Amino acid sequence: MAKTYDYLFKLLLIGDSGVGKTSILFRFSEDAFNISFISTIGIDFKIRTIDLDGKKVKLQIWDTAGQERFRTITTAYYRGSMGIMLVYDVTNEKSFENIKNWIRNIEENASADVEKMILGNKCDLDAKRQVSKEQGEKLAIEYQIKFVETSAKDSLNVEYAFYTLARDIKAKMEKKQEASNPPGNRSGVHTLNDTDRKRQPTSWLARCSVL
Amino acid sequence: MSEFENTDKTGDSQSELIEDGCNKLVVKCKYCGSKILDKKLGKFIMQEKELPLMQQDTRKEGEIQNEKVDQFYHVENMFTFENIGFTHTVDCYKYLSCADCDAGPVGYYDMNTKHSYVALSRIEHA
Repeated sequence: MAKTYDYLFKLLLIGDSGVGKTSILFRFSEDAFNISFISTIGIDFKIRTIDLDGKKVKLQIWDTAGQERFRTITTAYYRGSMGIMLVYDVTNEKSFENIKNWIRNIEENASADVEKMILGNKCDLDAKRQVSKEQGEKLAIEYQIKFVETSAKDSLNVEYAFYTLARDIKAKMEKKQEASNPPGNRSGVHTLNDTDRKRQPTSWLARCSVL
Repeated sequence: MSEFENTDKTGDSQSELIEDGCNKLVVKCKYCGSKILDKKLGKFIMQEKELPLMQQDTRKEGEIQNEKVDQFYHVENMFTFENIGFTHTVDCYKYLSCADCDAGPVGYYDMNTKHSYVALSRIEHA
């Protein structure tokens, strides 16, 4: 069967326990009818399909819930991941301070070029807030990572965050592909540059592509 | 567990849903309409399987109520799905749930074969 997508990205949700990673992945509410079965077992990962500039992108999103109590997440878990959402809780200062530790853990275990994004979750709980938006932004600038405040409860910015991370991974991949396969035919694969393309004859044969 | 491809057994109601052995229509969540599987990507099969009920009676604590389901869409590659959730593993299976409203199980995933099965009775065709 033909491949039904253009890109497949594996993404991880990482952060202290209780910051709402599971809620970001798993939108159960108190009165959900299925609470007794699906939520008891818990969601391991989800597959979501999004459209990015006309390309069909599959996201496989993993929750690390339950593993973070070991403080670190092992290399095996990071294997193959292309994007990481670093999640803290704006009502829990400790979870914010720990973002630095999580970044260190990523640097030690994940692939060096993994894309990252920081999420300040539970921003709907303004009365209980311990971490200001400015603090989040400052940290993000320090590490040169994108940042957004989210509310999984109100579905605020969650979709935006996944689209942003996916778009950054896609851009990085395309850049890499270009670099390893430049128009100068270095790798033995002939790539048409714009002038070549213009010189193509208009016969139907010219439209043949390698399938 | 017997598994066979449905050829002659397609009844009247099924002929509206099945074409060339696959789902003729888009598979969606019954409850929220989230798109689960695009048309023609699931192979119709008949096999008897016990699935936990989508609506469990919460009064019967610690007791999972099942029902027998016999019509499924077989999906070989999990990335064929449009939107879907996979639960943690229970006895070599993961249960499938709606990625948007978490309704489920809408089917199951076999850890040994790495194939997925969506129950026709647990989804909506659109």
